[in-house]
Amino acid sequence: MRPILMKGHERPLTFLRYNRDGDLLFSCAKDHTPTVWYADNGDRLGTYRGHNGAVWTCDVSRDSARLITGSADQTAKLWEVSTGKELFSFRFDAPARSVEFAIGDALAVVTTDNFMDHVPTVQVKRIAEDIDDQTEESALVITGIKGRINRAVWGPLNRTIITAGEDATIRIWDSETGQLLKESDKESGHQKTISSLSKSLDWSHFITGSLDKSAKLWDTRTLTLIKTYVTERPVNAVDISPTHDTVVLGGGQDAMNVTMTDRRAGKFEAKFYHKILQEEIGGVKGHFGPINALAFNPDGRSFSSGGEDGYVRLHHFDSDYFSIKM
Amino acid sequence: MAGMAPEGSQFDAKHYDSKMQELLSTGETEEFFTSYDEVFESFDDMGLQENLLRGIYAYGFEKPSAIQQRGIVPFCKGLDVIQQAQSGTGKTATFCSGILQQLDYGLVECQALVLAPTRELAQQIEKVMRALGDYLGVKVHACVGGTSVREDQRILASGVHVVVGTPGRVFDMLRRQSLRPDNIKMFVLDEADEMLSRGFKDQIYDIFQLLPSKIQVGVFSATMPPEALEITRKFMNKPVRILVKRDELTLEGIKQFYVNVDKEDWKLDTLCDLYETLAITQSVIFVNTRRKVDWLTDKMRSRDHTVSATHGDMDQNTRDIIMREFRSGSSRVLITTDLLARGIDVQQVSLVINYDLPTQPENYLHRIGRSGRFGRKGVAINFVTRDDERMLFDIQKFYNVLIEELPANVADLL
Repeated sequence: MRPILMKGHERPLTFLRYNRDGDLLFSCAKDHTPTVWYADNGDRLGTYRGHNGAVWTCDVSRDSARLITGSADQTAKLWEVSTGKELFSFRFDAPARSVEFAIGDALAVVTTDNFMDHVPTVQVKRIAEDIDDQTEESALVITGIKGRINRAVWGPLNRTIITAGEDATIRIWDSETGQLLKESDKESGHQKTISSLSKSLDWSHFITGSLDKSAKLWDTRTLTLIKTYVTERPVNAVDISPTHDTVVLGGGQDAMNVTMTDRRAGKFEAKFYHKILQEEIGGVKGHFGPINALAFNPDGRSFSSGGEDGYVRLHHFDSDYFSIKM
Repeated sequence: MAGMAPEGSQFDAKHYDSKMQELLSTGETEEFFTSYDEVFESFDDMGLQENLLRGIYAYGFEKPSAIQQRGIVPFCKGLDVIQQAQSGTGKTATFCSGILQQLDYGLVECQALVLAPTRELAQQIEKVMRALGDYLGVKVHACVGGTSVREDQRILASGVHVVVGTPGRVFDMLRRQSLRPDNIKMFVLDEADEMLSRGFKDQIYDIFQLLPSKIQVGVFSATMPPEALEITRKFMNKPVRILVKRDELTLEGIKQFYVNVDKEDWKLDTLCDLYETLAITQSVIFVNTRRKVDWLTDKMRSRDHTVSATHGDMDQNTRDIIMREFRSGSSRVLITTDLLARGIDVQQVSLVINYDLPTQPENYLHRIGRSGRFGRKGVAINFVTRDDERMLFDIQKFYNVLIEELPANVADLL
C-alpha cells in the first residue's frame, strides 16, 4: 500500500479522528491548529485557528457540524466544522487533555491535567444546540484520580464514563452521580501509564494502549479483560477496525530517547494484530518518529497514522488485507 | 602511527582531549567552575512561576529533557552557565525558560540579550521565547540585519523585555543608543563556539564592553571545543558547566552514510539519482560556498528538479520567504551553506546531504543535526571524492561514529 503523506502540521501530531461518515479526517498537533482533511485523497480542507497551545484531542459531532478540541492552553473549544468559526471556549485551571461528545451530542466529557496545586479532573459539559445558550457550567466534576487522565470516553447509552491514564488503572464512573462503579484488576491490567483508548464501533468493548508495551481489550460493561496484545515497544496509540477482526497499535520509544539511540531501536511501525487470536498480522513502516495517533476509517477500508515527525500518513488497504484468513 | 591524525590537525583527538583536560583539571575546576549536581525530573519541581509553567505546558512539553533537567534551575538562580548538549535535545527551551523566570515584567526595558550567529536562528529563538512567555506577557524582539533599522529603533523605543539578535545589528543598536544596556542583567550566547570563533569574536567583545559589569552569562552549544571554553574564562564568573565528551556528541539516531563519487564532477549525477528519494520527505543539501549554492540550484532546476536555495548573499525578504516555505512543507529540498548548519529546527527534515564535506569539523555535527531532531530519527549522506576520504576517516575517529557505505535501498531508510 502506497501511503498518502499529509503535510500541514509543523509540530508533532497528537490525535486523529474520522467523522462518522468517514469522509473527513481531523488531526491535532502541538502547533495549535487542528486541521481537517478529505479522508479519501488526503487533500487539506481547512484549519481551526484560535488555540494558543498544543492541541491534545478532538471529537466531531455525529452530523459533522461541530468539532470540540482540548488544548494545553487550558481551554476546550467548540468549532463550526464547515466554516472553521470558533463557537465557544470552555476555560479551565489546567491543560485540557481529553474531549469526547456523548451520544446525541448534548454532553461532552473533558479531562484536565494535574497542574501545580490543581488535581486532575473529569468534567461533563452540557452542549447547547443554540450556541447563544451555551455556558461554561459543569454538569459533573469527578476528582480523586491521581496522575494525568489521558483518556475519558462515554460508555454505552451515556450512562457511564470510562477513564484511563497515568496510574495505569481503568475506571468506570456513573455519569450522573460521579460514583466509581468499577476499577480494572491490578494484576491482569496494565502496569504503566495508559496512553490511549479506543472503542469498538458498537461500544461493547474497547482497547487501551500502554507504555508497558502492551494493548488490552476490555468489555465495556463488566471491565473484564478479554485479550492482550504484546509488542516490544511502548504503545502510544490504538484503534479497533470497525469491519474486521483486527486492531492496530503504534508507538515507539520515548521521544526524548529517539535521537540518542540507534535507528533500529525506534520501532515506529503501525502493527496489526488479529483481535481474537492475538497474533501479529503485519506492520506498516514510514514514520521516522514515534507514532502518537492512529485511527481506522469507519468504512474499514483505510487507516491514518500521525507521528512525532509531524506527518499524517493515510493508507488505503490492499485487497490482500480483506482476504486474510487465520 | 599511520592511523592517527597528524599532530596539530583539526581532528587531533589527543590534542583536543589534553587541552580539555587541562582546562577542566582538578585545581582549575575548584577555582573556575561551580559545582551543581541537582536533577529535576519534572517542570513542577523546578520552582518556576505559574505563568511560565503554563507556557511550558501549553507549548506541548510534558517532561524535561536531560539538559533541561540539569540546566534550567542553575540558570534561574542567576548563575553563569556553560551548557553543552547534543543537537535537538532542548537547549533553546532551557535558556528561554531561565530568562523568562528572572525577568521583571513590570519593567519594560531590555533585561536579557540573546545573540545567535544567523538571522534565521535568532528569529527561531524569538518565536520559542514568545511562545513560552505568552502567559507572562513577555515582549521579545528579534533584532537582526537585513531588516529595517528604523523599525528596530521604533520597537526598541516602545520597550521590550528581551532582545534576540545577530551581533552586527545588536551592536549597531547599542551604538546608536536605540538599545540601552542599563537594565540588561542576562547575556546568552547561542551556538557559543561559533560566536567566540574568529568570525564573531571581535563583535561579541565590542558588545560585551557596552553591557553592565555585573551580568549573568550563559553559553550554549552542541559543540564546545577547548578554544571556545578557554575564551569563556575571560568573561564568566565561576560558571556551572554541563559538558559532553567529544566521542559522545554524535547522535546514534542519525544514520550516517557515504557515497564514493570519486570525482567532484560526478556529485551532481549522484544527487540527481537520489532526487526522487529526497522529495519523499524534507531534505537539506549542504555545500561550502554561496556561489556553489547558486550553481547547484541552476543545475538541478535545468534538469527539472524542484529545489529551493538560500545563503547569506540573498536579500532578507527572500531568505524569510524561503524559510517559511520550507518550514511549512511547501518546498521540500533546500540547498544552502553552513548558514543553516546550526540550530535550525524544521519538523519534517529527515535527510541531510553533505554534497561537500564541511571545512570546519564542528559543522559536521551541526549539519547532520538538522535531521534527527528531538523525537525523530534522521539520515545523513556524505558525498566523498578521493580527496575527501581522509577527512571522512578523521570525522569517524574523532566523533567515534561509523559511517557506512550507502545501500541501494536508500528509500527504505526514510
